[in-house]
Amino acid sequence: MDDIKRKYVIPGDVITTGPYRAEENVNLVGDRMIATTVGISEIYDSGVRVIPLTGMYVPRIDDFIIGIVKSHTSLSWELDMRSCYPGILPAQDVFGRDFNPKVDDLTSRLKKGDLVAARIVNFDRSRDPLITIGDRDLGKIEEGELIKISPSKVPRLIGKRGSMIQAIESATKALITIGQNGYIVVSCEEPEGLLKALDAIRMIEEQAHVPNLTEKIQEMLGSNSE
Amino acid sequence: MNTPIIDDLKKKKILALLKDGQRVDGRALDEARPLIIDTGVIPKAEGSARVRLGDTEIVCGVKIQPDKPFPDLGDRGIFICTAEILPLADPNVETGPPNEEVIELARVVDRGVRESGMIDLTKLVLVKDKSVIGIFVDNTVTDYDGNLFDACSYASVASILSCKVPKWEIKNDAPSLVPDSASAPPITTIPVSVTMGKIADTIIVDPNADEWKCMDGRITITTNSAGNICAVQKGGEDGFTFEQLIKCSELSISTGAKIREILKQVPGGDKC
Amino acid sequence: MGVRKSDIVLLDDKGIRCDGRKIDEPRNIMIKAGVLKNANGSAYIEFGENKILAGVFGPRDVHPKHLANTDRGILRCRYHMEPFSVSERKNPAPSRREIEISKVIKEALEPAVMLENFPRTVVDVYIEVLQADGGSRCAALDAAAVALADAGIPMRDMVSACAAGKVADTIVLDINNEEDQEGQADMPVAYMPNLEKVTLLQLDGVLTPAEYKKCVETAINGCKIVYEIQKKALKEKFFGDSPQ
Repeated sequence: MDDIKRKYVIPGDVITTGPYRAEENVNLVGDRMIATTVGISEIYDSGVRVIPLTGMYVPRIDDFIIGIVKSHTSLSWELDMRSCYPGILPAQDVFGRDFNPKVDDLTSRLKKGDLVAARIVNFDRSRDPLITIGDRDLGKIEEGELIKISPSKVPRLIGKRGSMIQAIESATKALITIGQNGYIVVSCEEPEGLLKALDAIRMIEEQAHVPNLTEKIQEMLGSNSE
Repeated sequence: MNTPIIDDLKKKKILALLKDGQRVDGRALDEARPLIIDTGVIPKAEGSARVRLGDTEIVCGVKIQPDKPFPDLGDRGIFICTAEILPLADPNVETGPPNEEVIELARVVDRGVRESGMIDLTKLVLVKDKSVIGIFVDNTVTDYDGNLFDACSYASVASILSCKVPKWEIKNDAPSLVPDSASAPPITTIPVSVTMGKIADTIIVDPNADEWKCMDGRITITTNSAGNICAVQKGGEDGFTFEQLIKCSELSISTGAKIREILKQVPGGDKC
Repeated sequence: MGVRKSDIVLLDDKGIRCDGRKIDEPRNIMIKAGVLKNANGSAYIEFGENKILAGVFGPRDVHPKHLANTDRGILRCRYHMEPFSVSERKNPAPSRREIEISKVIKEALEPAVMLENFPRTVVDVYIEVLQADGGSRCAALDAAAVALADAGIPMRDMVSACAAGKVADTIVLDINNEEDQEGQADMPVAYMPNLEKVTLLQLDGVLTPAEYKKCVETAINGCKIVYEIQKKALKEKFFGDSPQ
């Protein structure tokens, strides 16, 4: 990396010593700032943090996620969202206030295996995260292909101000829906565009640590179209 | 193993493609995934293999040691084949004693090798009714991507073909190892297992994990080098028509012949 | 298979051991991170003749639910040997030895993993010994620590393990199978190299207080050698072929 304040770290690596603030994925021991995960460390202003390159999705309120329905009770659905906790979608969120567990059959709306675009409403680790589909652009996903990447690589897939994802979408004419949890749905009318978009996403997953990745992806998308 | 969930869009895609005779990974309906076999990966075992069938991976080891024969089979050696799905192979595997699915897997793999008569067990007798050589074949699944039946079967066959049987002499009524005189095992044929899935009346060979989750029924047919059928196991919820069963037997012979060519390249595989 | 006691010279007059190593030299060690497709994190290690796979899942839902802890995540560990991993076929069911080793490995990793941020979850560490040699618990730990880091489980430090022991009245690093059987003492040690804490220590055999000190020091030095190999494995996986 050209910025001298960044470096590749693994757990236990001492990033620096001295009066800094230990932020994400950094543990302060004495005056040593120690990385707690594999990633890229950054020293900025008075803080030190590590941008992770691996790990589970940790839910955050307001995150947009994509989940797979894995089961339901008479009152709610449980979604797999590649997190340490399942997402809970209450039946009232879908049926409205008039929901009556004796009358309304949850499987009439969502069943096991369905893909759902949702948002995290509430999460405090003492309970499973609560999610909603009651908003514009949320709800059951009817078409496309699911691809899973490490949640830590989602920011790389989006790129600075969306540059990476825009580059892929415009080169392939694919529509890409990105969940913060690393579940991504790609749809495209042309099968070739679909394959190319999926390849680009896989390449970002594999080479997330490489500098100038946007240019490399653009090159790959450009050369393939010839 | 708990039944893993498949997302609905993937399932729809698999079903839609099959209607046009296509598969989700681009294979032909009768095409098995690439098979990669490395033998001798566990030098301390008398025979071993690591097999990759697509992304399904098996490590198999053969241990050979003197044993007492089964009471009613005093004139032949012992052959036992097991299989275990290691918990690191898939998030849905549970630790603890094997469940019925794993036991079926082990028995189907064992039956294919045993019923083909691959190993001439009568050549493994030290003293009739008293002391014989035992061949123990243990399959461990290290990564799961469907069709463990065939992957374990190929791993077992490759491990057996490449194993070396130590020599024992009877001294003071007990078997005593003769150093440095191990020899090739008594092989008579190369059994090849071919598992086929039935999805909405289409028969596919070697289903991967996603296809496995969409299957209505499955059948595993083992053939020997002469092209005869020596073991069959039908499984799954749906039945097969007579025509489908005939088609499956033909597929098991044609696909099996291609796989047998790969197995013949294993050290010790050129004998059959 | 039938090597008699008298056949082995554990240490010759030039200070060379039965397998050709010097007294402070470990066996060959090779570690590869990220070798399994389905596990969240994984590693493969060859340590002498040991061949061991480790796979990590989690943090994830705890089943059965009553094992869950509302304050923090829990760590579970299973050390398991394949039937073909030893000279005489091993019964596939877990033995008392495997259960004890599972426990000490778990307790050696626990000080490093930070599960306070993941209440009600479990991290499962599965270790499969494909071929066993002397020092398999240390090699298993080394692979497990790399697999945990590969899975992105937050860790205060790496955990590196290596044994030392007493052979022919001399303290030597990294006991092999013959030395374990014919030697005088075996001491497996796990160590957090940056926090400088020992997280596993066992001893079989008799040592004087001075030898005990020397033995711990020797093992810690071995852990530091292993640590460099663990770092290299993770950097190769995440940062490509030219790690820096």
